[in-house]
Amino acid sequence: MIKQPKEQPAEKRRNYTLLILFLSLWAWSALYYAPVLRMAREYSFWAPDSLLMSYEQGRPWGPLWVFGLMLLQLFRWPVPGGALLALLLTLGTHLTAYCLRLRGWWRSLQFVPVAIFLCTVAYAGYNLYFEAETGMFMGVPALYLLVISVLALIIRSFSRNHHIPTLFSADGLNPKQTFTASVLALLPALLAVGITHWTRPFVRVTAQMQCQMMEQDWRAMQQTARDNGELSYRPIMAYYAIATVMRGEQGTRMFDLRMDYDDPHIQGFDKGENIGTNYYLMDCDLAAGLVQTAIHHGMEQMTMNGPNLRALKVLTKCALLTGEWEVARKYLHILEQTPFEGDFVRKYRAMLDNEEAVNADPEFKMIRLTEPVRDMMENQFIQPVFLGYNAALMEGRSINALWNSLSVLAYSKAMPQFIARCQPLQGSPLPETYAQALALMSAKQPELLQAFPDIQMQHTRMGAFLTHVSPLMGDRAGNAPNLYKQYKGYYPYYYFFGNLKATKKPDEGQSSSKSGVN
Amino acid sequence: MKKTLSILTLWVILLSACGRKAQSVPSESTPIRQEADIYPDYKDVVIPPNIAPLNFMLCDSLAQDMVVLFKGAGGELVVGGKNDLKTDIDTTAWRSLLRENKAQSIRVTIFARHDDKWVSYPPYTLHVAQEDIDPYLSYRLIEPGYELYRQLGLYQRNLTNFDQQPIYENNRSYDEEHNHCVNCHNYQNYSTKNMLFHVRAQHGGTIIVNNGKARKVQIKGDSILSAGVYPSWHPTQNLVAFSTNITGQTFHMKSREKIEVLDERSDLLLYDVEKDHVRLVLNDKKELETFPAWSPDGKYLYYCVAKEPAPEETVPDSLLGMKMMRHYDSIFYDIRRLPFDAAKRSFGPSEPVVDCANRHRSASFPRVSPDGRYLLWAEADYGQFHIWHHTADLFVKNLETDSIYALEEANSPDVDSYHTWSSNGRWIVFSSRRMDGNYTRPFIAYFDRQGRAHKAFCLPQRDPEHNILLLKSYNVPELTKDAVRTTPAALKKVIYE
Repeated sequence: MIKQPKEQPAEKRRNYTLLILFLSLWAWSALYYAPVLRMAREYSFWAPDSLLMSYEQGRPWGPLWVFGLMLLQLFRWPVPGGALLALLLTLGTHLTAYCLRLRGWWRSLQFVPVAIFLCTVAYAGYNLYFEAETGMFMGVPALYLLVISVLALIIRSFSRNHHIPTLFSADGLNPKQTFTASVLALLPALLAVGITHWTRPFVRVTAQMQCQMMEQDWRAMQQTARDNGELSYRPIMAYYAIATVMRGEQGTRMFDLRMDYDDPHIQGFDKGENIGTNYYLMDCDLAAGLVQTAIHHGMEQMTMNGPNLRALKVLTKCALLTGEWEVARKYLHILEQTPFEGDFVRKYRAMLDNEEAVNADPEFKMIRLTEPVRDMMENQFIQPVFLGYNAALMEGRSINALWNSLSVLAYSKAMPQFIARCQPLQGSPLPETYAQALALMSAKQPELLQAFPDIQMQHTRMGAFLTHVSPLMGDRAGNAPNLYKQYKGYYPYYYFFGNLKATKKPDEGQSSSKSGVN
Repeated sequence: MKKTLSILTLWVILLSACGRKAQSVPSESTPIRQEADIYPDYKDVVIPPNIAPLNFMLCDSLAQDMVVLFKGAGGELVVGGKNDLKTDIDTTAWRSLLRENKAQSIRVTIFARHDDKWVSYPPYTLHVAQEDIDPYLSYRLIEPGYELYRQLGLYQRNLTNFDQQPIYENNRSYDEEHNHCVNCHNYQNYSTKNMLFHVRAQHGGTIIVNNGKARKVQIKGDSILSAGVYPSWHPTQNLVAFSTNITGQTFHMKSREKIEVLDERSDLLLYDVEKDHVRLVLNDKKELETFPAWSPDGKYLYYCVAKEPAPEETVPDSLLGMKMMRHYDSIFYDIRRLPFDAAKRSFGPSEPVVDCANRHRSASFPRVSPDGRYLLWAEADYGQFHIWHHTADLFVKNLETDSIYALEEANSPDVDSYHTWSSNGRWIVFSSRRMDGNYTRPFIAYFDRQGRAHKAFCLPQRDPEHNILLLKSYNVPELTKDAVRTTPAALKKVIYE
């Protein structure tokens, strides 16, 4: 008699649901959401020194957030950081099923906590790290795993069924159920991707640009912004402008993005919505050459958020630019206490006490070009200062300073001032955008054609543009998105169809937390 | 039992061995000429006999180990450096060393091990003074920020050890409903029995602690510009002199000074603590009177006063702030004083004390020494918020001889500003940005009987790296003879009620 092979018991069958969950979470965090999570680390701070962590430690739930901040540091490289997050969430999911004794179809409920977590993270958008407690991102999964592990141990100790299934045990599922569970395991990551894609598409783009900014890859920043040119959000525009200034392309590429800013869904410290000026203020100040103003806003960030890598790095750069070597040394010493910042510390420590090295740095060289010629007061200018200062610029130390000013005036549609500020460019080739702006104005001021003969070349295109858009002027806001595809980067398009709702919502960025003299 | 005790003893010995290294001076060492680079700089300073250990770290990239020998005529102490080249001096041993060498000098020799050889740096000296410093220093810890605040507090430090206790802290997390700032703490005659500080923004008011009992008051009135601002508690009466200021601030875009704080208007007030009554003392519209400070005998009220800049330029009140901003570097404060009759509670005519304006200099925070012989103030090129003025230095006037001079030995090239006397007049504590130009740290300097200040040293910390790692500034250091007894919880209750 031939012995038939016995059917493998269900318990012995492998179930790769949790492996699928792990891989999908890893892919989400290490690939899809990687720039955002890397920026979350940049907006955070962790060091083994208790004095440096006293700010965080002293807050409600402080020790937990400090632990979360420690784990978050691994996102310096999203692959290991993502693996850790995926592991925490996968183990938590596995133990959820055990503790709730989920069997059969009910087993799918084990994915609910992780799905809620990822969806919350995705929906938080900028608020995952901006004006928020960054320790929560890794602290919450760590706490959940801890609590569920303790619960599992208690159940294991007091229950007659002592068995905690292994990660890959099929645990009574039939093949159909296993397949369905495997599909459901993909759901948390897919939901998070969906929420990001449909409700917070700007977050990944902004974070990607910020990561590229840290690498000083200005060209890549511009490319990222242009690839997503239809996303109209202030932070994206701000970082695009920074890259454009750093590449000296203010006069040709500044208006490539659609600028009719949508709500970035930022909830500030005061729990009120704001348009997020503080998000990019410090970076824009620095790129505009306003080093002292960048220090001002960097300090405010440190005051309100506590120490964070991003502000410390910008303040280090500012201190090097102002020649305040001792405070630069201090910031570098603090950064040295944090994990994985060795490259930054080495690079900038080499510039201490060495003004020549500072001036030779390509980024600093560009910043120097637009530093104010003389001391002025921030309060003299319209806010934000990097725009107000350039709008009112009377003297600059380079042609780049003039370009910055012209770009701001063109952006503000302050044409009389723009025309007046163009005077020094008479007789020299005009950057494309300024030529387009002057050509537009020459319809009302024909004398501009004599002062700037180059702009004649713009007339054919402008005539065609005006003919095309004249019937559409009745609903500028409605027609702007469609026209953008055709007239991307063309100043007359921006003049008539760009930035239409800019003045509708006041910036409530810092107002509620201002105190006056400290 | 015996076995258990033996194991425990062994563990204690092992743990002690791990915690501190063997403390012995190297038998052989090579003297080198190069001076030791130590942080903070405690070389050749005069120190109070009751000060906490002056821990420091040796900045020597070649050194792998260090030993420090403190040797005085009355005794010596050997301290082994930790692996990070920092000292962690035992407080009891240090106290004993200072006691044994009171009014004498201690010679400090640092030995550093470079590979397998020991070198010794040229020794320096610590001069232990005869006179103690008041044991408590209170200050505010706040980021050297501009407009915003979140977590801040008033703290008191026991100068004889490293204990720091909060007097009052605001919220740890941002809370719009309860967000507030605290500032301007002040004591009556070095005692914490009577003290005050202000609360700004939510729950605003002035917290007065009178005979240990706290209450919140509003120092306001129809003719008063704002609330009470810079305070000075009369040394014997329950009276507080305040300035009342309409203050604004502006931010430099290129200058290293960073911030300007300007008064559009300011007057002087007198507040009766018992009657909860306030009255104007000085309110000349063309003059800016501020920084009141009683003389130790309570017979004079010193203050600073500046004339409105560019008087020919008349502007409406709404534009006064802009005018001040335009002329910020032409505002010069002099020091004057008003005689005070405590019995009648009346002031006499104003008398000039220090004329700064004619020298195109500007004074702030006049403070008379407890023996009444010296007037100490901060002086800079212009303005009044010298904590952000890099030209700010400490000056004194000998009130007996009228000679005026800078405290050269205590001053630094950076900001040296807010200052306080010890109750015996032999020590001054002041804020200085000399360490990094941005974060103020309290510095202590000996002020001898001849009116000469000695080299100042930084407030000692258990970990000398503390001053580098701390991202807050020390504001308004004030010495007191005793600790504040009112608890933070009691103060919070008064503030929130």
